[in-house]
Parts: sequence; C-alpha cells; structure tokens
Amino acid sequence: MKILVCLKQVPQKDAPLKLNESGTWIRDDISYEVNEPDAYALEEALRQKEKHGGEVVVITAGPTRAQQVLREALAKGADRAIHLEDDGFVGMDAVNTARALAAALEGESFDMIFTGLQSDDYGFAQTGVLLAELLHWPHATIIIGIEKTESGVRLKRELEAGHYQMLDMPLPCVLTIQSGINKLRYATLIGIKQAKNKPVKRLTLADVQGKLGKNLQVVERLYVPVKQKKTEMLEGTSVELAKKLVEKLRNEVRVF
Amino acid sequence: MIHFRKSLEGVDRPQMEADVVIVGGGPAGMACALRLAQLIDAHNAAHPDAPMSKENIYVLEKAREAGQHCLSGALLDPRSMNELLPGFEKEAPLDGQVHKESVYLLTRAGQHKFPITPPPMRDHGNYVISINKFVKWMAQKVEEVGITIFTGFAGTDVLLDGERVLGVRTDDKGVDKNGQPKSNFEAGYDLHSKVTIFSEGARGSCTQQIAQKFQLENPEHAQVYGVGIKELWEIPAGRIAPGEVLYTLGYPLTTKEFGGAWIYGISSTEISVGFVMGLDYADPRTDPHHAFQSFKEHAFLRGILADGKMIRYGAKSLPYGGWNCLPQLYGHGWMLAGDSAGFLNSQRLKGIHLAIKSGMLAAETAFDALRSGDASTTQLAAYKTRVDASWMREELYPVRNFHQAFEHGLLPGMVKAGIQQVLGGANLGPDFKCSPGYKNMQHLGTCSVSDDARAQFLGPAKGDGKLTFDKLTDVYHAGTRHEDDQPTHLVIADLDICNRRCTQEFGNPCQHFCPASVYEMVEEEMVETSEGSGSTQQKELHIHFANCVHCKTCDIMDPYQIIHWTPPEGGGGPNYDGM
Ligand SMILES: Cc1cc2nc3c(=O)[nH]c(=O)nc-3n(C[C@H](O)[C@H](O)[C@H](O)COP(=O)(O)OP(=O)(O)OC[C@H]3O[C@@H](n4cnc5c(N)ncnc54)[C@H](O)[C@@H]3O)c2cc1C
Ligand SMILES: Cc1cc2nc3c(=O)[nH]c(=O)nc-3n(C[C@H](O)[C@H](O)[C@H](O)COP(=O)(O)OP(=O)(O)OC[C@H]3O[C@@H](n4cnc5c(N)ncnc54)[C@H](O)[C@@H]3O)c2cc1C
Ligand code: SF4
Repeated sequence: MKILVCLKQVPQKDAPLKLNESGTWIRDDISYEVNEPDAYALEEALRQKEKHGGEVVVITAGPTRAQQVLREALAKGADRAIHLEDDGFVGMDAVNTARALAAALEGESFDMIFTGLQSDDYGFAQTGVLLAELLHWPHATIIIGIEKTESGVRLKRELEAGHYQMLDMPLPCVLTIQSGINKLRYATLIGIKQAKNKPVKRLTLADVQGKLGKNLQVVERLYVPVKQKKTEMLEGTSVELAKKLVEKLRNEVRVF
Repeated sequence: MIHFRKSLEGVDRPQMEADVVIVGGGPAGMACALRLAQLIDAHNAAHPDAPMSKENIYVLEKAREAGQHCLSGALLDPRSMNELLPGFEKEAPLDGQVHKESVYLLTRAGQHKFPITPPPMRDHGNYVISINKFVKWMAQKVEEVGITIFTGFAGTDVLLDGERVLGVRTDDKGVDKNGQPKSNFEAGYDLHSKVTIFSEGARGSCTQQIAQKFQLENPEHAQVYGVGIKELWEIPAGRIAPGEVLYTLGYPLTTKEFGGAWIYGISSTEISVGFVMGLDYADPRTDPHHAFQSFKEHAFLRGILADGKMIRYGAKSLPYGGWNCLPQLYGHGWMLAGDSAGFLNSQRLKGIHLAIKSGMLAAETAFDALRSGDASTTQLAAYKTRVDASWMREELYPVRNFHQAFEHGLLPGMVKAGIQQVLGGANLGPDFKCSPGYKNMQHLGTCSVSDDARAQFLGPAKGDGKLTFDKLTDVYHAGTRHEDDQPTHLVIADLDICNRRCTQEFGNPCQHFCPASVYEMVEEEMVETSEGSGSTQQKELHIHFANCVHCKTCDIMDPYQIIHWTPPEGGGGPNYDGM
C-alpha cells in the first residue's frame, strides 16, 4: 500500500490568538502543531503500512514553519515528505489548496490518500473531498475504520447518533479520517534522529501556480466575539420564583 | 489512591550513545549548544584531517517546543550575547531598548518615587524581550548549526556509576494513571553521554538528584529562592512607553517579606507586569499570587492597568542566593549551568545573561573534555576556573550578601545593602550565612488569626475578573496542558503527613503557595474504625497535576520537604508563548 497523508499545520489549541493588523487573520507569533485529525490519519497510514507493507508519504502546503509537521511525521515513521513551501498557502481556499496538492502529486502514484476530517483553523471539511474530485477518485468521509479487502477497502463511517455505515470502496481512493480512530504513537529519539536523513522534496507556489485559480473564498474581517454574560437575580417567594422562572424559560430562553 | 510517577521497572529500554547531553533548553542550554558547535566548527576548519562531529550532541527540552516553559521579566543585558553571537541585535527578537527607569516605594495609600534610580537598577542599554520568543530564536540557531534538540523529552533520572554521571534517562511515554503501560507505551531512553550538562533552570529535578546524592550545597550557604508571578497586559497607548522600566518595593508586602514588582514596556500598548516574592516568608497562609493581585489594586497600578486586558499568566521560581550559595559546579562527567547552578544577580533581578555566559563556559570545558577524551572531575574543574576568571565573578561577588541582608526585613536590609554598596559587597562582619527558606515558616498556631497588616496576601485572592483574578482564571491564561491519563508528577513521599500533621501544624501551605491551584484539601467522610460509631470529616489532599506550570515552588517551600517535582510526560506543561 502506498499512502499519501495530507498534514496541515494549525495553531496550537491553547495558543493565545490575536488578530493581525488588518484584522483578516491571526498574528502568527504563536506555536503551531499538526491538525488533530491529520495526526490520526498519519497513524492510520503507518499502521496500514506495518500490516501490508508499502510506503507512507506526507505532504503539507504551508510556510517554512510548516516543515515541523513533516519532520514529526518522518520521526514517527513516514518514509518521505513533500513540502509546498510558501507563505501564500496560508489562507488559501479549499479548492486552491486541493489543486495545489493535486499538482504536487504529478508523477506519483498512490493507493490511498488520507486527509483529516476537517482542519482546526478554517474548518472547511472540503479539501479532502475536493482533492478526490480533482483526481477523479472516489472518496469517503468521517472514516473510523479501514480494512483491506481483495478488491479494495472496507470502510466504517461515523454517522449521527451512534450510527455507523459500512461500505466497500475500490482503490485508489481518498479518505477523510476522524479523530480517535486509533491511538497515536509517540516519536522516539532514534526516530527523530533518523528523520533528519529522510528525503523532503520542496516545491514552491510558482511550481503549481499554473494549476490554481482565483481564491474565491477570502476572509475580509475577523471579529473577536464580545463576551455577554448576564446574570439576572429573581426575587420573591418560592412559588413566585418558580412561576417567574418558567416564564423566563418559555419566553426568553425558549427551551420549551 | 494517588499513583506517583517513576520510571517503569522491568521494561526494555533503548539506549543511545552521546558525546554531550544538555538537559534543559533555556538560555543556558541553548547558549551551551551554540558555543559547542562554534568550537567544533572552528576545530574542523583548522584540522580537516581530524574532524569532530556534532551528530551526537543533544539538547533535551521537556516543553513541546523550545521556549514554551521559559518565563522571565524580561530585560536582557546583552553582554554575553555580544560574545556569543556578535551583531545578534540585527536578527534576534528584541522589543526595545531601555531608556527610562524609575523606582517607587509603595505604601498602602500612596507611592514615593526614589529621587534617583539606584545604580544596580539602572538598565540603560538592556533590551526588553520575550524570553519565549528569544529562546525559540536561539533554538533555530542551534538547529541550523546541526545540533539536535529533542523537544517534548525530559531528563527524569540521572544515570550514575558511583561518583560518575553516565547520562540521563528520558521520560516514559504512554503510562496510565495507575502506572501501567498503555498500548502506545514508549519506554524512556537511557542516554549515555561523555559529558552531561544540567541547565534545567531553578531547582532542576535532575540537578536535585545529584545535589542530594553528592551533597553539592554548602549547608552554611543553602540556596534560597523566590517565585515570580507574571501577567502580560494590553493597555491603552500613552501610559508606559516601549522600553520604559518601573520597579516597586513595599506594598502589599510588609517590611518583613522580601519582594517587589516590575513593569516593563514592551510596545506602546503591551506591558509585562510581575511580582517576585522571596520563598522565605513566615506565615504559612501567604499566597504570592494573592500578593500580586493586591499589588495591582494599588492606586498606582490601577492608573496603568485601567481598561486594559490581561492576556497571559505564568509563574516560575528563581534562585536568590548568589555567589556564596553556588553549589559544587562540576564533577565526573557533569556540570551545572544557568539557574540550575544559581547564577543570578538578585540585586538586578537578572540571570539571562549569566545563564548564557555559564552555558558558554560549560561548552568550552566540554569541548576540551571531548578533545582530550577525558571528562574526569579534574578535567572539568576547568569550568570553575573559567567562571572565576570571567566577568561573572566580577558581577556576582560584590553582591554576594545582597539577598541575605534582607533576611530580617526590608528596612535593616536597605541599611545593610547600603553598607555593602560602600564596602564593595562586604558586610561590617563576615559574609552572611543562608539557610533554606522553608525553615522560616511558622506553625499556624503562632500566627495571629486575623493579621490585618498581611490580609492582602494571606489566603486566596478573590479577583474581580477585570483587574484582579482568582488563581483558576489566571491559570487558564497559562495555557497549561498535560495528558490526563498519567501518574501524578508531584511525588509526595508521605501523604499521611499532608493529611494529618501538616493540616495541624501549617494548615497545608501548598494550597496557598502553589500559583496554579494544583493542591486542594477536600473534605472526605472518614468512617471511624475504632469503637466510636459514626463518621468524622477529614480533609484529604487532592493533586490537580494537570494545572501545574512547572514553577517548582512546592518542591522549594514545602516545610517537610516531602514534595518532589518530577517531569511529567514530555510535552506537558504551560504554554508561555509570547511571555
Ligand atoms: C456526525 C457529524 C456531526 C456534526 N455535528 C456538528 C454540529 O453539531 N455542529 C457543527 O457546527 N458542525 C457539526 N458537524 C460538522 C459540520 O457538519 C461540517 O463542518 C460542515 O458540514 C462542513 O460544511 P462544508 O460545506 O465545509 O462541508 P460539507 O459538509 O462537506 O458540505 C458539502 C455539502 O455540499 C453538498 N455538495 C457537495 N457537492 C455538491 C454539488 N456538486 N452540488 C450541490 N451540492 C453539493 C454536499 O452534499 C454537502 O451537503 C458535524 C459533522 C458530522 C459528520
Ligand atoms: C519572574 C522572573 C523574572 C525574571 N526577570 C528577569 C529579567 O528581567 N532579566 C533577566 O536577565 N533575568 C530575569 N529572570 C531570571 C532569568 O529568567 C533566568 O535566570 C534564566 O531564565 C535562566 O536560564 P536557564 O537557561 O538557566 O533556565 P530556564 O530559563 O529556566 O530554562 C530551563 C529549561 O530547561 C527545561 N527543563 C527543566 N528541567 C528539565 C528536564 N529535567 N528535562 C528537560 N528539560 C528540562 C525547562 O523546560 C526550560 O526550558 C527572571 C526570572 C523570573 C522567574
Ligand atoms: S504544583 Fe508545584 S511546580 Fe506545579 S505549579 Fe504548583 S507549586 Fe508550581
């Protein structure tokens, strides 16, 4: 099995976010980490390789700092990496990101491409699916189980309210992976050392520019939500209080 | 039952051989790595026939990323950076040069500006920095010169062979809260190294292991510490200029406690505000976090902070003892650098430049050891010689009695410090001795029940949510994160002492001095076992280890010395981005 895993570098969950000067995105003097479901996608790819052999390649489209997620993946056992390296990939819409990824894969051949379910920063939940479209491959989303079969893979998808869907899919395909599908491994000292000698192919925005279109989705302005915590004290006897409370719940909060 | 963290026994441990292992990637550790690389590069240029390798030099850093556990004021005295990387100002993240300092004495109702800034508090030419950003930048430099930093890995146990340090073990990963390996368990490595350098910051946990084993401290001059509590604030422009520095003494402390505050202007709308308190106070109910909150309520501070917003919080300890309290700095296969050794000028509240310098000198000594293939105690003694011959001694020796002068309070301290100023650091008698700060703590019974002079820092701060905060609100702004399912890394030797004796004697001061609400005494129903029927209420210690910000205050100030701070699973801890 040859598997490609798309990794996105996103702000660490507890990073103190501040708007940039123009208010269009956050200031980037914070720490970053790999997007959570992407970490599970990588783990799943490594497990498939351990079971069936093959190769795990990781790719990211992002600025220089994004090589952090590639290095971590190489340290955990990925074989090689592709870095679409440019500040221009920050804030790119999902279609263009998918186009850039697809362009970077020319000349490669994979059995499966794993992406995360959605990213922690923009939360499009589209990139993986769009990539499949561009490649004319079938796809399935919210994957929580993958078994290799004679003809392809048997998949388990998460649906609402504890329901699952099982389906068979031919290869090659694109799968968007849900967090929690497996238990993440830790990088080891020796892994980190060896990662330094694994190949990282670098591509620039210019290398894929011809395949991209205009960014149709642009963030014009971000707003920090204003905290609105209002405490209202009700007074009266317990009977009156109960009545007032029910009124409030019915007419203002509208819970019933 | 609380299960405490320790390295698992009976597991297969991978091993790795190293030339130099640097435990702790703060300013000291990073400077040490950089200097080593410079020396090796110079050697290789001069002796292309006999090159030395940088392959097997490693920095271990317990934070997920370099700098995330570093917390400081911070003003940087550029002296050692100019030696390490001349011209560093052009590329290092610096926020502005100090151009104006003032010192104030706060009283409950007012403030008095010192007519002149005392010479040690003159910071002209220093830079306001975020130590987090600065160390991150140093880490990039270290990686560029080809030295590997293992972030997210802590040194947990010093590996010993008699008197010789063989290296360190790294943290076990994937151990559950009962001490059992999980399915993704990874045993820590035994990292065997020719030279191990401990640069873990104040009260380093590996450093403590050898300090106790080899009795590195002079008992007459035990190290003493302070804890610094800091918040970053955004304030309306025009109040504090970038590069402006203010120090305050006095309120909310009385003349008996040692401490003071700083305000550093980062940009026109961002300031660093913090409070340092000596960990040698008497009243067990003292809460340094509360002292800091009360400080902010002073009219002088209100004027600066009004309509501002607190954006970040953190706390960390620092060694105050100075030159006389330096422990033995080296031995067979090891050296101490930075705050782990105690290189801090408490008169100036500055240690970064000394940490960097000591890291450089340790690197020079390690380099000689590698070249000669000899890391014996005699060989590494050259480290101490280098320290003695450097400007570190020139800076630290004259202020060797500074903190000790304040042992009996602020006013006598000012007088003694004044005398020292005249006598070049000496007292009107022999040098002061120093005993560990926790020994000053008084039994609860001997403290007055309502101590009005100290009400502003006894017990927890309530916080108004705007200017002042309760601890949990503040801790939220430290961004601290730990894997929940792991053993408790605050290792307590005897919980019975906590739940019975300490409750009686000191009233569980851990609840108060911990700036992150890790320790909580919770009412537990105890069913009586003896003849008396029914049940009684007893308080029992709960340890919310996931809140821990790695400040080490508990390890230092616990009056029975039964709390041992050990590193949790690597990567866990605060996130001091931008601090
Ligand atoms: C089980 C589950 C529970 C969730 N619960 C919540 C929740 O409680 N709250 C919350 O905020 N989020 C929730 N989400 C996430 C949320 O549903 C997704 O983040 C969101 O739907 C993403 O929207 P999207 O448009 O980016 O992507 P998608 O959901 O992938 O949207 C694509 C949509 O476009 C349609 N579409 C695709 N191609 C075409 C086409 N060619 N022509 C016309 N239509 C097309 C698809 O059918 C689909 O409806 C949940 C997701 C799942 C799976
Ligand atoms: C509140 C406060 C304000 C200060 N203000 C100033 C100032 O304005 N100017 C100034 O010059 N100095 C100041 N100092 C002092 C200065 O911050 C320190 O002297 C300096 O940071 C020491 O550097 P270090 O490298 O020795 O230790 P640290 O900066 O503490 O770095 C130690 C590093 O080692 C890591 N580590 C620790 N143990 C282990 C382990 N077992 N395994 C792996 N990693 C480990 C830690 O995570 C950390 O990253 C201040 C200190 C405090 C607490
Ligand atoms: S538990 Fe100890 S080290 Fe952790 S925050 Fe509290 S006092 Fe500091």
